[in-house]
Amino acid sequence: MDPSLIVGALMGAGMIGFLLLIRFKDLPQPTPVSPFRHLDERKASIYENLRDLQFEYRVDKLSDHDYQTTKLELQKELARVLAETDRIKAEMGMQPTVAAAPAKAAPVSAVKPNTCPSCGASFEKSLKFCGECGKPMEVTQ
Amino acid sequence: MENVGALALLLAFCISLYAIVASVVGRLKRKPFLTLSGERAMLAVWFLVTVASGILVYSLLTGDYRMAYVASHTNRDMPPFYKFAAWWGGQEGSLLFWSFLLSTYGAVVIFTTRRSHRNLLPWVVAILSTIQLFFLTLNAFVVSPFQVLAVDRVVTSVADGMGLNPLLQYWAMVIHPPFLYLGYVGFAVPFAFAIASLIEKAPGDSWIHTTRRWTLVTWLFQSTGVALGSAWAYHVLGWGGYWMWDPVENASILPWFAGTAFLHSVMMQEKKGMMKVWNMVLVSTTFFLCIFGTFLTRSGIVSSVHAFAESPIGKYFVSFLALGIAATIWLILSRLNYLKSEAELESVVSRESSFLFNNLILLASCFAVLWGTLFPVITEKLSNEKISLDAIWFNRLMVPIGLFLLFLTGVGPLFAWRRTSIDSLRKNFQLPGIGTLIVAGALLIGGMRYPYSIISLSLCFFVAATIVMEFFRGSRAISEKMNIGFLPAVVELTHRNTRRYGGYLVHMGIVLMFIGYSGHPFNQTSIGEVDKGSVMQVGAYTLKVMDLTEGDTPNYQWETAILDVSKNGKHIDTLEPTRRFYKAAQQATAIVALRSRLNEDLYINYAARTGDKATLQAYVFPLVDWIWIGVLVLIGGTLVALVPAKVARSYARTEVVGMAKKNVSVEA
Repeated sequence: MDPSLIVGALMGAGMIGFLLLIRFKDLPQPTPVSPFRHLDERKASIYENLRDLQFEYRVDKLSDHDYQTTKLELQKELARVLAETDRIKAEMGMQPTVAAAPAKAAPVSAVKPNTCPSCGASFEKSLKFCGECGKPMEVTQ
Repeated sequence: MENVGALALLLAFCISLYAIVASVVGRLKRKPFLTLSGERAMLAVWFLVTVASGILVYSLLTGDYRMAYVASHTNRDMPPFYKFAAWWGGQEGSLLFWSFLLSTYGAVVIFTTRRSHRNLLPWVVAILSTIQLFFLTLNAFVVSPFQVLAVDRVVTSVADGMGLNPLLQYWAMVIHPPFLYLGYVGFAVPFAFAIASLIEKAPGDSWIHTTRRWTLVTWLFQSTGVALGSAWAYHVLGWGGYWMWDPVENASILPWFAGTAFLHSVMMQEKKGMMKVWNMVLVSTTFFLCIFGTFLTRSGIVSSVHAFAESPIGKYFVSFLALGIAATIWLILSRLNYLKSEAELESVVSRESSFLFNNLILLASCFAVLWGTLFPVITEKLSNEKISLDAIWFNRLMVPIGLFLLFLTGVGPLFAWRRTSIDSLRKNFQLPGIGTLIVAGALLIGGMRYPYSIISLSLCFFVAATIVMEFFRGSRAISEKMNIGFLPAVVELTHRNTRRYGGYLVHMGIVLMFIGYSGHPFNQTSIGEVDKGSVMQVGAYTLKVMDLTEGDTPNYQWETAILDVSKNGKHIDTLEPTRRFYKAAQQATAIVALRSRLNEDLYINYAARTGDKATLQAYVFPLVDWIWIGVLVLIGGTLVALVPAKVARSYARTEVVGMAKKNVSVEA
């Protein structure tokens, strides 16, 4: 018998075994996917846009008017995303974001006032978003 | 052994078919065992194609001249490096190489996303396996690399092979096809994820986040591949051109145009949730242009310096392209609701609109080049007369388009997202605008009279100035805020947003390349028949022939002219242009003598020898070096863009009962 046929048959048998002999423990454990994932991603994107906007304003690329208008629009967009999160939460029978916020705010208050909880940068006045790292300075959940 | 290779390809074909069925049925019927089996099938295909490729490479290296492919593409005296490169040097081998790269990419996709994309992965496996199945059909049944030579059904062999095309026996040409292929094949992955998310109607842009880095790496491979091809043409073909608008060159640049448009427009979707349909169209166009490029190169439908002879694979490619494009269009049309844009274009003077223009111009370039490339095929079908469009036609069309793109490269980053008021425009355009006018004036006063060169160099200044301003303003702000030096601030700025500042470096690379292109109208040429002691003049250079020598190696015969180069009466160099005649292929190639400087290249080609006299072609090419420097900067910028940013894009994950609550980083 042609040895290449034997090698071919062995290869075929090996492949069939590999494809069909699957044990329960071989099934990959999927990473849990949140129903809010796309909204969380959108939120992250808006924060990033705000951070970029703040930086461009700081380096004098934007006029005051452009900065204020765009900032307001981004904040409105953020509000829409949060409202949508609340709507889904309500459908799932979960606590809405607005009501949850004060409860979550407690640990943050341990941080110095006007200090970014993410990067620790401090500012003279209260800001919604950190001027240094761009992350929200108020709890948005 | 060739039988094992052929059997491996046959098995791989069957298992690819199984992978499609198992993945689709597994997903539709929610059978996790079946979808996992489909994933394993892809890994099995990778193993089998690797075995087949290993056998082919082994046969090439050991010189198994019973095999038709080995006999046609290698010979005994070829260095092993080129014997290995013969894997992708011919049609059958290069299509196997395609299959190998695709199956390797497929295996990487499975290992990297099997936990995070359980819903999308079965569709991704099915789509990649469909593409794999097409190429395995060609490998196993149409153009098998494992065919043996036979006379009257008796296997025979030849004493020596015909060797690899001598033009391809050059280092840049050895790595040029793998780079281009890595780029061509790589776009199958973003395409598969895009289509999978369409089929699943997956919410959000997870396909973009997952494939963003992948797309960038693929684009880097493609850019490097195109640049290597250009460098090869310049250094090997002997006429000093780096781009001739040859159909195969065009085949490589078409997906690059579409891919570049996609890389830009995908930012609009990430930033504003806009242009979702457009991005689907672009990623699909890029992928199908990659397949089309392979078809153009491999089918011999158009004649080119480096296309293969006409072959039967054309109709398979046409069928695959037609079915694939029709299915993609149907899918996009049936999911238009899912692809609804979340925002509108707010102002014509905004970064969004500059991206839109950039996209339109890149696609216009794409279709102009496509039209020019297919023109001979179209005219032949319509009037039985093949009319080819030459480089002049392409340049007339593409030079203004290229200059407009260069202009957009400069203005895009100066516009703000959403809208830019007059005040903001003044802040950003005043300095670079005035500088550009001064440069244009200086060039005119300096005696430059080529309009395109003046426009190009002025725009180069404009774009470079805007990029330098971006780095300067950002770094100064960081330097003041963090109290650090300017250079560490530049590094900090770049590290904070590697994608943006890496992108600016890529733009700087493009600027440098355009500086190189601007020198083209100032080329100088001199052709002469010379013997020992003759003197030739080209530009400011005087070339004196010191000797004409010749020799022999097992692989080729060679002839060299030894030239004493002087400038303004002062000896500056000795150059030795050579001509080789490869014995196995009975073909001659040039080894060009090059004296490369930042201001100009002295380029000498040994064209022919008649008796005691040699024909030399001498050229002076101004600024060409900047093209290659630009390519290196482009590669460096892309690598910077691939580094994870210091300020990771993270978000507080909305709490869901039963799930871990923590901050999640989004791959940036």
